[in-house]
Amino acid sequence: MTTDTARGAPSGDRGTPGAKDDLLRPPEPIVPDTTSQERLALATQFDLRQMGVRPPLKDYVRDVVSRWPFIRTLGTSTAYAKNQNNYLGQLWAVLNPTLNAIVYILIFGILLGTTRGLENAIAFIVIGTFLFRFVEQSVHAGSRSIAQKTNLIRSMHFPRAVLPTAQVVSLLATLVPALLVMCVIVLLSGLLPAYPMIPIRWSWLLLPAIVALLWIFNTGVAFMVARAVAITPDLDNVIGFIMRLVMYGSGVIFPVTHYVDRLPDAVQGIVGAILEYQPIGVFLYVARSILTQEPEIPQDPWMWLWAALWAIVAFVVGFIVFWRGEERYGRD
Amino acid sequence: MTESELDLDVDLEEDFEPEDLEGPSPVATLGDPVLVVDDLNIVYRVFGGKAKQVAGGANVKEGTAPRRSFLRRLVSSTSQHVGAVSEVHAVRGISFVARHGESIGIVGINGSGKSTLLRAITGLIPPHSGGVYVAGDPALLGVNAALMPQLTGEKNIWIGGLALGLTPKQVEERFDDVVEFADIGDFVYLPMKTYSSGMSARLRFAISSAATPDILMIDEALATGDAAFKARSKARIDEVRKNAGTIFLVSHSTSTIEAMCTRVLWVHQGQLVMDGPTGEVLEHYRTFVRAHRQARSSARAGGVGPRARSKQRSKKSD
Repeated sequence: MTTDTARGAPSGDRGTPGAKDDLLRPPEPIVPDTTSQERLALATQFDLRQMGVRPPLKDYVRDVVSRWPFIRTLGTSTAYAKNQNNYLGQLWAVLNPTLNAIVYILIFGILLGTTRGLENAIAFIVIGTFLFRFVEQSVHAGSRSIAQKTNLIRSMHFPRAVLPTAQVVSLLATLVPALLVMCVIVLLSGLLPAYPMIPIRWSWLLLPAIVALLWIFNTGVAFMVARAVAITPDLDNVIGFIMRLVMYGSGVIFPVTHYVDRLPDAVQGIVGAILEYQPIGVFLYVARSILTQEPEIPQDPWMWLWAALWAIVAFVVGFIVFWRGEERYGRD
Repeated sequence: MTESELDLDVDLEEDFEPEDLEGPSPVATLGDPVLVVDDLNIVYRVFGGKAKQVAGGANVKEGTAPRRSFLRRLVSSTSQHVGAVSEVHAVRGISFVARHGESIGIVGINGSGKSTLLRAITGLIPPHSGGVYVAGDPALLGVNAALMPQLTGEKNIWIGGLALGLTPKQVEERFDDVVEFADIGDFVYLPMKTYSSGMSARLRFAISSAATPDILMIDEALATGDAAFKARSKARIDEVRKNAGTIFLVSHSTSTIEAMCTRVLWVHQGQLVMDGPTGEVLEHYRTFVRAHRQARSSARAGGVGPRARSKQRSKKSD
């Protein structure tokens, strides 16, 4: 019992209160004429289903899959709604990541020169920032997916896993046109006199595959943060910092592995391995290896394997983590 | 709005509209149990308000409610929520059994936990303890179904319909019906934020009534719109009710409940204080509300416990 202090005084005959004071008091809470066991027996007898509890994982998966049209509609509508309050409208879906990439190219590529040793700094940074933006926004969208939709959750029945999934779908919808722009920038950067030509190769056809893996990975991560933030809203404040750490630690705007040899010998091996095989690093490596011909980033089937592994692990773990909290969403 | 108005915003006979109430009173033909509620408890977490401050004095004013400041968020993240989180026990140990064919009204003054109870038995708010057992799928019919104001009415009909569990084909089929029922014409292609409040309430009601559930929950649905829309929504509810079998109705208007329900639950401070035939319960309830009004107008003393007030604060997000 929490904060209750006002209790009605006992009134024997609730029907005909005598004094005026008694009129102001509601009747005493009624005592049910059945016991809890009897009610549960009744529920089992008539084959009633318990509400507000987590369904078995198998049923839950089936339910989420059957809601795919809902996920798609919610996702694409959200994506569209995001950019409709200004003159350039949907153009911002492309302009935003481009401007973002230009900032990093100016500061890190040209001013600080952190990309020394690479053949094409522009392609390196553009691919890094465009794809990392997808990851970062998925995490943020996932973290808000439950809290922002509390009204929807309290009005309608559907598996709550729909919400984070739809958020990532909406980001994917805005990513697709941005990826085209990314490819064009990468191609154009090869025309600059300082950089070698970047030809379109067969390996470019693999771009949708790595984006699909990244999408699966992001959905898994969105599930995890969605549950964490729904239960502990404070974590929302921390996520921004974690994502910045991940950005600088994943070689989004400069080859972070170049800096490992400055560390003490004792930790070099382990830090180097972590930086190389952590998920974001792997995804960026694969994307760069198929789009550019950087001598330092050759195509590597093992990295594809790592990417697939990370995507599946993140998705499965994330989905189960989210499902285990299903009955708690919407109570706060 | 002063607190006395908030607490006792209950229509007795003032808004009585005879055209709503034509026809004989409903008669229940009782069938098998379709809904069993067993010792249901709902506890909300409320961030940014200490339980002590909410419960302390009887005259805690709204303005002094602690805001969720940056400092407080930092504090609560380090001290694991100690201090900035309080719990509101909105529904406290309610048990009842509903049978097929019953129309059940839920009454109670503002903040007594009616809407929370309704949402909980629909399965939309998970119980803290206890259980709700149902046959079939209950659905909440109301004007509170939050949609996306920045999107067009068309998109919202799709999202709402799919969220209700309709297939894309079914949404397609019922689309024109929904638009026609909501009576919004070409506005359906404009963002919902441009709608008048009446239009958006009509559209939300139309969307939420697009599916026909086994158990129908209605939350204040009749309180929207002009007289013409009220009549139409009553007709729609009657139609849905015929197929639904069992309905629950939360309304401030006791006359609406009288016209539609065979049984009434009176909820006060999260507890069930009376459960019985419509006439009997409403008689006591009206006496109670009238006595409260008189007490309010003669002396502005706090008759409602601090729980009810904290509840109102927490309900603002609804």
